[in-house]
Amino acid sequence: MTDLAAVTMTVNGRRITRTTGGHLTLLRWLRDAAGVTDPKYGCGEGVCGACTVLLDGEPVSSCLVLAPRADGAEIVTASGLVTGGDTLGPLQRAFLEHHAAQCGFCTPGMLVCAASMLADGGPLSRDEIREGLHGNLCRCTGYGPIVDAIEAAQGSRGPA
Amino acid sequence: MVRRDVPRHDASEKIAGVARFAGDLALPGMLHARLVRAQLPSARIVRRDATRAREIPGVVAILFGEDVPNNTVWVDVPGQMVEVSALKASMEVLATGRVRFLGEPIALVVAETEDVLAEACAAVEVELEELPGVFDPDEALADDAPTVHEDGNLLAEWNIDRGDVERGFAEADVVVEGEYRTQYVDHAYLEPEAGVAWLDDQGVLTIRVATQVIEHYRDVARILAMPESKVRVIAPYVGGGFGGKEDMTVEPYVALAAARTGRPVRMQWTRNESLLARAKRHPMRMRYRTAARADGTILAQDIDITSDAGAYAYLSALVLLYSAVHACGPYDVPNVRVRSRSVYTNNVPTSAMRGFGAMQVVFAYESQMDRLARRLGMSPVAIRKRNALARGDVLPVGQTLETDVLLPQTLDAIVDRAGEKPSPSGPRRAVGRGFASNLQSYGRLVWLNDSAAAWVGFHLDGSVTVRCGVPDIGGGQSASLAQIAAEVLGVGLPRVTVHFGDSALTPLAGTTTATRQLLMSGNAVYEACTTLRDRILAAVAEETGQPSESLRMVDEAIVGPETRVPVLDALVICRRRNVPTEALETFFGPRGRPVVRDLRAERVFPDFTFGSHLADVEVDLDTGQVKVLRYIACHDVGRAINPGSVAGQISGGTVQGIGMALLEELVVRDGVNLTGGLFQYLIPTAADVPDIETVILESGEGMGPFGARGIGEPPIGPPAAAIANAIADAVGGRPTTLPITPERVLACIGLGVQEGRGSDG
Amino acid sequence: MFVKPFAYERAGTFADACERLRAYGGEAKAVAGGQSLLPMINLGLVEPRAVVDISHVEGGRGIALDDGSLRIGALTRHLDLERDPLIARGQPLLRAAASLVGNRRVRALGTLGGSLAHADPAAELPLAMTVLDAEYCVTDGRSRRTLRAHEFPITFFTTQLEEAELLEWVRVPALGPGWGWGFVEVSRRSGDFAIVAAAALAHARDGILFESRLAVAGVGDRPIRLPAVEAAGAGASVDELEGRIGPIEDIEPVSDGIASSEYRRHLARVLVLRALSDACRRAGGQT
Repeated sequence: MTDLAAVTMTVNGRRITRTTGGHLTLLRWLRDAAGVTDPKYGCGEGVCGACTVLLDGEPVSSCLVLAPRADGAEIVTASGLVTGGDTLGPLQRAFLEHHAAQCGFCTPGMLVCAASMLADGGPLSRDEIREGLHGNLCRCTGYGPIVDAIEAAQGSRGPA
Repeated sequence: MVRRDVPRHDASEKIAGVARFAGDLALPGMLHARLVRAQLPSARIVRRDATRAREIPGVVAILFGEDVPNNTVWVDVPGQMVEVSALKASMEVLATGRVRFLGEPIALVVAETEDVLAEACAAVEVELEELPGVFDPDEALADDAPTVHEDGNLLAEWNIDRGDVERGFAEADVVVEGEYRTQYVDHAYLEPEAGVAWLDDQGVLTIRVATQVIEHYRDVARILAMPESKVRVIAPYVGGGFGGKEDMTVEPYVALAAARTGRPVRMQWTRNESLLARAKRHPMRMRYRTAARADGTILAQDIDITSDAGAYAYLSALVLLYSAVHACGPYDVPNVRVRSRSVYTNNVPTSAMRGFGAMQVVFAYESQMDRLARRLGMSPVAIRKRNALARGDVLPVGQTLETDVLLPQTLDAIVDRAGEKPSPSGPRRAVGRGFASNLQSYGRLVWLNDSAAAWVGFHLDGSVTVRCGVPDIGGGQSASLAQIAAEVLGVGLPRVTVHFGDSALTPLAGTTTATRQLLMSGNAVYEACTTLRDRILAAVAEETGQPSESLRMVDEAIVGPETRVPVLDALVICRRRNVPTEALETFFGPRGRPVVRDLRAERVFPDFTFGSHLADVEVDLDTGQVKVLRYIACHDVGRAINPGSVAGQISGGTVQGIGMALLEELVVRDGVNLTGGLFQYLIPTAADVPDIETVILESGEGMGPFGARGIGEPPIGPPAAAIANAIADAVGGRPTTLPITPERVLACIGLGVQEGRGSDG
Repeated sequence: MFVKPFAYERAGTFADACERLRAYGGEAKAVAGGQSLLPMINLGLVEPRAVVDISHVEGGRGIALDDGSLRIGALTRHLDLERDPLIARGQPLLRAAASLVGNRRVRALGTLGGSLAHADPAAELPLAMTVLDAEYCVTDGRSRRTLRAHEFPITFFTTQLEEAELLEWVRVPALGPGWGWGFVEVSRRSGDFAIVAAAALAHARDGILFESRLAVAGVGDRPIRLPAVEAAGAGASVDELEGRIGPIEDIEPVSDGIASSEYRRHLARVLVLRALSDACRRAGGQT
């Protein structure tokens, strides 16, 4: 397709159809076309992790996925990690209690990656958590509080 | 409510994913703007032509310097609360004649969509004639060097002289010297620069921008030739600042575009653009000669510092001032000579970054302490204790320390915590332990006559609103204010709402920089709350006949030995008696006279924060890789309003310091920045650092509310020295250039070209 | 951001993809996982007129073991190589290499074929293929040809692939009895591009090395087999290896912003010895 064409995705449980050019990334489609702004633009290189979303259950850098590629896919962003009316699930509450968010810009991507890491299997040691987070940059917290939060959340696994 | 480790109100919104940062706002009819930037570091602009670009469908406006009402921005002191001196350093908003660094803005393109911008910017024709440039500060000081600015390449000098340095060296038992070099460092906040501007219904030009300084509305007003009252800057939650959002970034451009088109305009810098063109931390070369007695007492310091100011001054003169004043570290040195200079080059400009000149010198003075300790066979802790400053001592610049100095206690705390040095994990590994202590000022230079204002008021239902202009950049700036208000007014924390960061609607509180906000806006909120509290207590005292000294505000009530008046009733009493249930106060920081080149002042900064760090590292003797096994950081924070926030600042600042020590470098060659993405500019990941163990001491002697000291910047100073000292302990050789790459470590083991200069006497 | 617009086409089969690429006459790029191509597009280093999405072409993914070798579809993801039991049991060197690629997000989308076609001289999978002496099958939609791994790269980021050609599958030998593997790299941070990486396969028993295969990446314009070093080590006891293997010849490391050529050369020897030592240890049955 050279011109704009319609692309449909289920985003955080909501079915959304928007037109897109072939070159638009999933990140731009979510933010600019669908108005879902919790995935952030941090680098455009897939390095910082701020744009992470779940694409059919897998954590991906949405800045490196073309929107048409995700046509028909199920997308979950940080704000969609908790369903059923609760704003904060166990992982989010752990982040809050352990001061794991300072400026908050890395937080949505960090949450998606943390959720994915916990879903991949465990229990994880602190070193394994750190290793698993190496693709998510944070410039504010020094990471300790985030590792604390994930360690606490894995101890109290409930619906997330 | 203070000293309580409560979750911050801003954290909930960020964790729920609903916090909206500057780039998250989209308005109907919004346009997009992008800058066309110079592609050479030193050039004359020969021709600029937007004809072809203007014909591209979707292009709405293209501006050059001539289209800017006042094409000059004064850059050397952002966010002054009062006018203190003639501002000297300026640059053009859009360059018209000369280009002085690669990336300098030349044209502003405004279009309907971001896609059109890509094509349009490429179509703007800019013809440059290359001029000779200079890319090294020493070369720039030569008589025949190309001049970056007409007045010559020397931007600023600061000298300190105390006592008799030559005699100090003559009497010394040992002299150690070293030359230390630090690199270009980028703030690398996760949020690249972004902002949206629009004209509101009253014609007020409103800019919602990721900034540390909302007072820039004045600078925008001047550039647009508008009254200051017609420009408004709003700071939403900022995705990291660290000094990089202290100067204006997108503000003048989105403002110009919105004013020109009458429509909302958004500008988002790419990461590449941010790395290329945002001002950096100053690279510094520091030469130290330190003279001491055999018992470790330092007799003299002879210090020479050169910093690269890049193409435009920005805050370079002030950064250098901090370096000079902090150059001897947290030690009492009787004989001192400091010579320092900041020099223009055609490299990327340099400006504010966390630590602000006081942190580069830590690498130098703490490496020197370590050299001394080794020469004399003294423990690194003992030599620091021997020389530590104490209350009543006078810094080389002339300022007397009025508050208690807990430096020895911070050293004891980390030693206690650390225990024994660990053993190497294998045969080709070596383990070392390093110490570093520092002092870092908090609060702005006193001659800036700093102040901050805050408003606090009760609603009819007993809930509280705080209004304060402080920008919240993630360090808990607004949350601290809520805690202070809750404490003083005796209400629950959920009852307090803070509105911050709006130059039109919140009293101005100055910059979120210089580790000043807890001191300044914290005290402003504290004073507003105590004024309000005293007013309410007086009204209740009159009503009940109880002496007001016997009354307190606690648990949502006014309580005395025989009285308990719920706060709602107290508010009714106030209203009946025409007693206002709100208060506005301004807190004034300490004042002083402007400094001159030969620095001698009774007061330069309000106060200082002291701390000590310990690093255990393991060196891979074959690859040169360094693993930080353990890291302990201890600071006297005066009072921890929110211990979790304080620990977070220490952890985050320390990791930034570790990044500067081991990983981060912006490579600039002949004015060309070769580091264009985060895949090249390496900041620490979770796998690169251990848990930062924080030890918080509370002397209660800070000048902030409840005796708090500032903690934002101090932790970033010691890591480079602590790690370099640990490597020296592990392998014998000492790294003297940052970042400490594996190659440089191998050189310390004698497996490569010797890079660091310096000797042990 | 600020990317010159381009068209997007999705291919259903390899033949379909090749025809589309042919139609664009070299101005289109195939995109599989996008983990190499998209960063280049986002940074403005590449401006295609179109991309042809091959991520879901029929028969592109899959791992099969037949006759002592593993046949792997080019669209198999790094995550699949990391997790598939056939790889874990059959050729654990490949699992190790795949697990070092980028981060979890890169591995969720990135493909084997994409990495091989990108031909970053320091990348893990081209190195693994080189030491395994893998066989590559290339298609242009009309016919196929096979190449060996070491023939495939021409120079930095350039391969034998013609304009309308795609990698279809790759075949690697299974790890034989008595053989062990080693795969080590040095990077500035976990998950970063390797500065230098070394891969080793060793046939060893009771502390004696009979035979080895060695290759190193990041020291030239492609991964480099080291037959001279293989010969020097043959027959040695594991303890003698350090003495028998001197500075690595046959490599041409460059100096750049990350590392000097001298450091790369030094690392090459260090890592070859470490990889070989790991391989010998594993050949003896230890992990």
